[in-house]
Amino acid sequence: MSWKRRLILFVVVMLFASMLGSYAWAAEPGATLDVAPGVPRHETLILENPEGRIADPGRFNRWAQGGGNSTGLQQLALDTLWYIDPDAGIDDPWNNSLAEAPPIYNEDYTQMTVKLRKGIYWSDGVEFTADDVIFTVETLMANPAMSFGAQFQLNVDRVYKTDDYTVVFDLKQPNSRFHAIFTVRWSACFIMPKHIWEKVDDPVAFDFNDPLVSLGPYVLKDYDPNGYWYLWERREDWHRTSLGMQYGMPQPKYALYIAPGPADKRVMAQANHDLDVIHDLTPEGMISLVNRNPLSKGWFDGFPWAHPDPTLPAVMLNNEKYPLNLPEVRWALTLAIDIVNVSMASYNGAATLSAIHVPPTGGYLEWYFDPMESWLQSFSIDVDGEPFYPYDDTVAFRVAETVRKQLGDQVPTDPEQLKKALGYGWWKYAPEVAEKLLLKNGFTRDRRGNWLLPNGEQWKISILCHGPTVPTMTRAATMIAEQWTKFGIETKAEPTDLLWTRLDYGDYDVCLAWCIETWGGHPDLFWFLESWHSDYYRPSGEQVVNKNPMRFKNEELDRIIEEIKGRDFDDPACVDLGIEYLKICVKEMPIIPLMAYNVFAVCDWYYWEGFPTADNPYTNPVANWANTKFMFPMIRPTGRK
Amino acid sequence: MPRSFLSYIAQRAVQCVLVILIGITITFFIPRLSPTDPVETAVNQAVMVGQFSHPDAVREMKEALIRLYGLDGTLLQQYVRFWKGLLAGDLGPSLSSFPKPVMTLIRGSLPWTAGLLLTTAVISWTLGNLLGSLAGYYKNQRWASIVGIIAMALHPIPYYIMAFVLVVLLAYVVPIFPIGGAIDIGLKPAFSIVYLSSLLRHAILPSLSLLLVGVGGWFLGMRTLVTNVIAEDYVTYAKYAGVRDRVIMYQYVMRNALLPQITGLAMQLGLIFNGALITEYVFSYPGLGYLAYNAIFAGDYSLIMGVAVFSIVGVSIAVLLIDLAYPLFDPRVKYQ
Repeated sequence: MSWKRRLILFVVVMLFASMLGSYAWAAEPGATLDVAPGVPRHETLILENPEGRIADPGRFNRWAQGGGNSTGLQQLALDTLWYIDPDAGIDDPWNNSLAEAPPIYNEDYTQMTVKLRKGIYWSDGVEFTADDVIFTVETLMANPAMSFGAQFQLNVDRVYKTDDYTVVFDLKQPNSRFHAIFTVRWSACFIMPKHIWEKVDDPVAFDFNDPLVSLGPYVLKDYDPNGYWYLWERREDWHRTSLGMQYGMPQPKYALYIAPGPADKRVMAQANHDLDVIHDLTPEGMISLVNRNPLSKGWFDGFPWAHPDPTLPAVMLNNEKYPLNLPEVRWALTLAIDIVNVSMASYNGAATLSAIHVPPTGGYLEWYFDPMESWLQSFSIDVDGEPFYPYDDTVAFRVAETVRKQLGDQVPTDPEQLKKALGYGWWKYAPEVAEKLLLKNGFTRDRRGNWLLPNGEQWKISILCHGPTVPTMTRAATMIAEQWTKFGIETKAEPTDLLWTRLDYGDYDVCLAWCIETWGGHPDLFWFLESWHSDYYRPSGEQVVNKNPMRFKNEELDRIIEEIKGRDFDDPACVDLGIEYLKICVKEMPIIPLMAYNVFAVCDWYYWEGFPTADNPYTNPVANWANTKFMFPMIRPTGRK
Repeated sequence: MPRSFLSYIAQRAVQCVLVILIGITITFFIPRLSPTDPVETAVNQAVMVGQFSHPDAVREMKEALIRLYGLDGTLLQQYVRFWKGLLAGDLGPSLSSFPKPVMTLIRGSLPWTAGLLLTTAVISWTLGNLLGSLAGYYKNQRWASIVGIIAMALHPIPYYIMAFVLVVLLAYVVPIFPIGGAIDIGLKPAFSIVYLSSLLRHAILPSLSLLLVGVGGWFLGMRTLVTNVIAEDYVTYAKYAGVRDRVIMYQYVMRNALLPQITGLAMQLGLIFNGALITEYVFSYPGLGYLAYNAIFAGDYSLIMGVAVFSIVGVSIAVLLIDLAYPLFDPRVKYQ
């Protein structure tokens, strides 16, 4: 036989062998599956890394560019002083992680003292102490191109220890929220192991890979040199980590973060029980998955399934640009939106709507939505001398009614449950009122019914939105464009990959994006609200710091922000100030709030059970959040192999 | 060696170098004219990690990054720096995976792209042209019509759909092949049956998707060419002269019809360096396509340049080699 024929025969034999091998493997009764050699499936939690393939997979320097962060790195290996869970937390949303207690500020907030936990060890056996915290801050201050470096330069006068477990920050100016740098919302400034990094010449270039010393309960066992998967193994001394110390042993012996590809493949993988935690899906993918796999469960047990993240997608209006600088015009645009249709178009009805300027998630229902409800019912706008009451608390029921035609009994009927899942209310669809507001401001209609600006030019709007990477937002923008066009404003949706850059520089009129992000598990609004202060106002053309891209200024709001800044993080008066902020926003409508950023994080209860849900909201199941570490000690194996 | 041949080679080599120079220069400037800025991207990512950043902190970070990325100085200065580096074999650091050298990133992905695309390009070209020749030559045969219909049905199917159909059918409904990846998780490279079998098993679906679409294209092209060639006088003459059918088919028809297909193959081989983005995405298969895609979105000038340099050089050299090799396929072509 010639060598060519032998080669062909070899290839064919190999192919058949591998095919038969897969069949045999799948068919053998009672066989234990392995996700990797020596890594049993039933001891492994498989999670989606939504970042996709990591271009530089061997880089774990979370403080500089490159590498991935949702690879398990910030979830399982890194740790910092505090965490705030966007939901209820295991025992409380606030978690003292590496710190023993909350931050201690002096009276004028120019000094912050941190008491550290004792008995925490790095995975190589070295004890975690104040030296690590100080080293992290000083290293980043010396390298402003690294994350948080410039912030530390601006804030920190001196950082020092009074003993091995006490760190003191002397601040350059009063800052009652300095601890937020070390507090995980979805990420934060994590702590470096001094004993590793002090030997490094160039911290920016350092990959932190050889070795990757962990402060969390897992260590890196292996990773794909092509960047598609990362395998972590539970530390033998997991009890010497903040998570193990507080909540016991993380149950999965192994955790595998993979980049499974497009949504359809994620559905297939979970239907085959090959992917335990999906980070996000399309609404249609979610419906398809729950129909295929009864053990696939979302945040809500049934429609609308999705987890509402503490982020508020909104119709951003550039308040600098005429006529969007007029509050009555902004209100007219609000009343020309039929939110039921927007909810259907964007999320297939599975959106959690918000009429006010905070996301309807976590504790915010109790802190802000419940107290605002009666005020919203009585809130009116003046329309030709007559009060018009724009608030509509029936939207959730109307959305549910519409969805019920498609999904039947899967849609709950309990009004309280519907309000929690689909939102307390929104603004009435009242194009006739919107018309009156525009006419009052000098707008006219042409012969075809299209709106003309007071100067006679046709009113045209382009709504910037994300491209196909965030399809729910693109669909919402397209529906709103359709509704405004129907109302008589020539509107088009404009998907762009440069959305954030254009927002930052004010290169837009209207955009569908978000700038309001809250802790979820804590009522403090300073996180995003600080940059709404007029001190930080930057006109279009200059780069704004990205929480006030609508260029909104308000003297009363400045006072509120200053008052919050002068108060302690936990001061209950901050909630009252927050409610004042909400009332200003409702009156002024600087941006039009739409809904929570709902994420279809789906967990498969086949190998593991006890994932977080709306009924047991101990943490956020969305896999790229660092908080998902709290899931690991809470889930339990089902015994399936 | 004849003087005209040497002169022809020199002329074509100079042309090739010029094309490479111009191509690389254009690729250097175009990303810099795009509104995507690597520094803005890096700052946005860093700001998203933490809380609100003071404008002064953001400005300080931007200035530090501009210096770090080597984006300071005029465009001309950057251009000169780039050529100095390139001539020394250094494409500089990637900006989105700073400070990893671009060459390291490309080196990690290139073998997968080359392995998948080279193999499928050559197989689909060979199969497509062979079947196309036979179907064109024996166009009245029933099997030729059937193969033609299948090729015409497969060819217009959008590649993304074809890839998904294969995944659904052969990795989900009948799970014969893995749903994605290039190798089983945790398997270390080794010259062993286990490793090679895993490598093959993972490569089959991506290869098949490329082959099914690729073969159809070559088939249809070649069949048309052959249909034209068999109408030529010399083919008719050969038939009447009693030359065997097999000889006419391979020596007279196929060889003459093959020239445009050879050029097509050369272009396709050169373009291999662009990767196959959709294949990589759908099958979670490593390669240059995803690397280039991410580089474009992150405004990573260095990485874009790195991939482009390979592509420009690859296409130019492939075309040069084909030009030089033409007389081997067709004696009527002269070096002039």
